[in-house]
Amino acid sequence: MKTRIKELRKERKLSQEELALAVGTTRQTITSIEVGKYTASLVLAYKIARFFGLTIEEVFDFSEENEF
Amino acid sequence: MEKFKRTVKRRITISSGMALLALVLGAYSIYSIITADISTATHSDGFVAGFQFGLIVSILVLSVIDIIKLSLTIKDETKLKLLYNKEHDERMKAIRSKAGMPLIAVTSVLLIIAAIIAGYINITVFYTLIIAVATQLSVSAVVKLYCMKTM
Repeated sequence: MKTRIKELRKERKLSQEELALAVGTTRQTITSIEVGKYTASLVLAYKIARFFGLTIEEVFDFSEENEF
Repeated sequence: MEKFKRTVKRRITISSGMALLALVLGAYSIYSIITADISTATHSDGFVAGFQFGLIVSILVLSVIDIIKLSLTIKDETKLKLLYNKEHDERMKAIRSKAGMPLIAVTSVLLIIAAIIAGYINITVFYTLIIAVATQLSVSAVVKLYCMKTM
């Protein structure tokens, strides 16, 4: 799944470690989400979106998920 | 975070207990090895005694490392938060689940206890159980590493 996490992080000059600490996860998980290896749970997606002051749809791109 | 702090303190206490127990068992193990009658002892007796001693030393070393690590963590709020995040990380939980944890750890401990007991009765059963434990832990570790690479 594509996300805007890396872009939003760079805008705010945040490291993966800082974001991870703020949303209650690890740096490795943030890396995996950013590169699309891991799909965040609804709870984590909500925490990340809320941290950036955006909605889940604004951070995560669900368009590819509907393709069969 | 206070609740997690209490959990960490409890873990330090448990590890201290384990270290103390390992120390007592280690001392008894050394005493048994020194006072053993070498003339009647078989190669298997020596192997089982050596395995037990190695296991005790491993428990002691791991417990001491755990005590030091947790004691340093509890003093630092950031380190404590990092440890909490690491232990409650959803990705790691999924990986551990795929690697068969915590069931593999529980069955491994039970099989090691069974192997030690069996070692006094039948050495073939002892070897079989130890190989079974080593195999299941190896498979679990490989699955975990694979999942960590792909997830």
